[in-house]
Amino acid sequence: MGELALGNPTGSRLGNSQSWVIEPSRIGLWAYFGEFWRYRRIIWFFGSQTMKRMYKRTVLGRFWLLARPLAPLAISTLIFGALLGVPSDGVPYFLFFLCGSTTWVLFEQSLMWVTRSLDMNRGLVKKVYFPRLVVPVAAVTPGLIYFVVYLMILVVTLVYFLKTDGRWYLVFGPGLLWAAAAAGLCVLFAIAVGLWTSVWQARARDVRFTLRYVLRFWFYLTPVIYPLSQVPERFRDWIFLNPMAVIVETFKWGTLGLGDLYPRGLLASSLLILVILIGGLRYFTQVEAASVDRM
Amino acid sequence: MTTSILSIKGLGKCYYLPQPRPQRATQSRAPGFLGAVRRVWQWPISRWTGAEVREFWALRDVSIEVPSGTVLGIIGANGAGKSTLLKIIARVSPPTQGRVAGVGRVVSLLELGAGFNPEGSARENIFMNAAMCGISKTEAERNFDKIIEFAELGNFIDTRLKYYSSGMYLRLAFSVAINMNPAILLADEILAVGDLNFQERCLQRVEELSKQGLTVLFVSHDMEAIIRVSDRVLWLNEGRIANVGNPEEVVAEYQNAAWARVDLTRNEQGRHASRFAELIDATLVSSSGKQIGAAPTTEDVDVRIRFVVKEGRLERVRFGFDMYYRNTLLFRSTHQHEEEFLEPGRYEAWARIPKDFLSEILYSLNTFLLFSRNGKDSSLIMRNALSFSTYSTDESSVRRLRGLFAPRLHWKLDKGSEVAHG
Repeated sequence: MGELALGNPTGSRLGNSQSWVIEPSRIGLWAYFGEFWRYRRIIWFFGSQTMKRMYKRTVLGRFWLLARPLAPLAISTLIFGALLGVPSDGVPYFLFFLCGSTTWVLFEQSLMWVTRSLDMNRGLVKKVYFPRLVVPVAAVTPGLIYFVVYLMILVVTLVYFLKTDGRWYLVFGPGLLWAAAAAGLCVLFAIAVGLWTSVWQARARDVRFTLRYVLRFWFYLTPVIYPLSQVPERFRDWIFLNPMAVIVETFKWGTLGLGDLYPRGLLASSLLILVILIGGLRYFTQVEAASVDRM
Repeated sequence: MTTSILSIKGLGKCYYLPQPRPQRATQSRAPGFLGAVRRVWQWPISRWTGAEVREFWALRDVSIEVPSGTVLGIIGANGAGKSTLLKIIARVSPPTQGRVAGVGRVVSLLELGAGFNPEGSARENIFMNAAMCGISKTEAERNFDKIIEFAELGNFIDTRLKYYSSGMYLRLAFSVAINMNPAILLADEILAVGDLNFQERCLQRVEELSKQGLTVLFVSHDMEAIIRVSDRVLWLNEGRIANVGNPEEVVAEYQNAAWARVDLTRNEQGRHASRFAELIDATLVSSSGKQIGAAPTTEDVDVRIRFVVKEGRLERVRFGFDMYYRNTLLFRSTHQHEEEFLEPGRYEAWARIPKDFLSEILYSLNTFLLFSRNGKDSSLIMRNALSFSTYSTDESSVRRLRGLFAPRLHWKLDKGSEVAHG
């Protein structure tokens, strides 16, 4: 369904007099982006479809959106904050953990859904033509929804602490822009990794379960439950090999003013994400056609 | 009808099928780090070990020019590459070699309900489909009423598709496809699902639109529909073009060849061989003793069933065949009396089908052999042992209407008595 105007790449919409050619050779990345852009409207369709799938056939439905974040927040606060007494850079541990979780959950949920996306839309992908890149990109929707839910919880918590402690922890200023940039980088990172994993998942469903374990360890390697200040000096450079560490730190710094901004780490992580993203795009576009045949 | 809207040149599609039992061919692995990287990179598309794949060419060297406004019927046995061809043109699956060039929007009906979201309403799905065809929202809104009207959905527009009957699904799918203003419509066996009334409307619509310049590629096993709507017919056999041309001629040739495509070695259901006996084959033999593929209705023909008795003794042996048209049993015929075979040996059973009895359709036979040995009954069956079409050499025949049989009955005409009118 649909066509690709290689001979006449000017039209922004698929007109009905355009000529097209189908050949075994794959199209270049730029032509692919043009194609992707032309089909951008179906991103919304896929996004809303994924959203509906999140809590399909559950009794509580949307209530889960709120219930699922709250349980781990409460448990972690109890265990790490109260029982183990993990330091939290001078803010209540609940707030500290919540702030770190916000970006982590954005990453985790996005990556999980992006990974499943091709597999989930197998029926459509095998029967109808559109640039497959739409599928993983649209699959970040649940992650974004969780992000918003966490932000809402964050605001409620901030108001709560203003009322009880009389302290307003949020820092208004350019830091918020940095936080937003960190969130954006986080989504990009999830897509970058997901471009690889979604292809693998379409081939073997073990990938999703493996990824769940990997994410568990990854979570502990990321300063969410502990502040970066607790990490011994000699490991500091190593921890920034994990882009999520920088992203979480930047977000915490930008919103609550915790810790510091690490320009070098941010730059290195951005570069790493870029490499994974470009590699992922090449990988995805190269194997997409052949992996559709194998699905 | 002069300009070619779709031009297919040397198209080929190769699938790499994993071998059922790979021998651990370690030497085929590329050595070293780069080899390992390459294997990981290609893992989703090939086997881990790389080499143990079998090439399967679903399409090979297919070239055809389709002028604008043509309805091209595509016929062939299952696995002949019909669907693969449509999938390549629909861009769902890339070709391995060759080139397809075309002009205008391609809309495909590859499978019932493909591209539909069962959780969504008809309204949502129409817009989603439009987006997937690259149609703007305003254009989709303009066509919205037409789509609903043709699909006869009435007040089910906002019902979720999962509650639709398959007929409604089909009507919606066809209506959406046809109203997306395609230049080329790909339809894969889609009309086989609907009721006769809707099939009729679809065929009419296809005919109508093709007069306005719509090009249709239409895959079907329904030879009557093919002959009716097609301007040309493409017959694919094992991925290659067997013939292209005039619908009646190509379909007739295809049906004559139908007997050849029945694979006798691979009978999946039912056994045609056991320790004691084996059904070998069934063939059509003309009155002059020649083996033929299609039966003339104006002559007697024989069905010859060959079987082997491997071990005596077989008692109460009966043999015969069931004649089918598609999946409908027309009749069963068996040898008049029970036989007894004491010794091993080869046998040929002959059944004569009289002239002026068969109609001009595709018949198929299941042959069977029933016997009892040491008091235990067993049966052998060979499904689709023979299928053949028939032809009439009687030009003046008015029996072109295709019933299941066309027996020549004995008619006479009497002048009615006056009493009958009273």
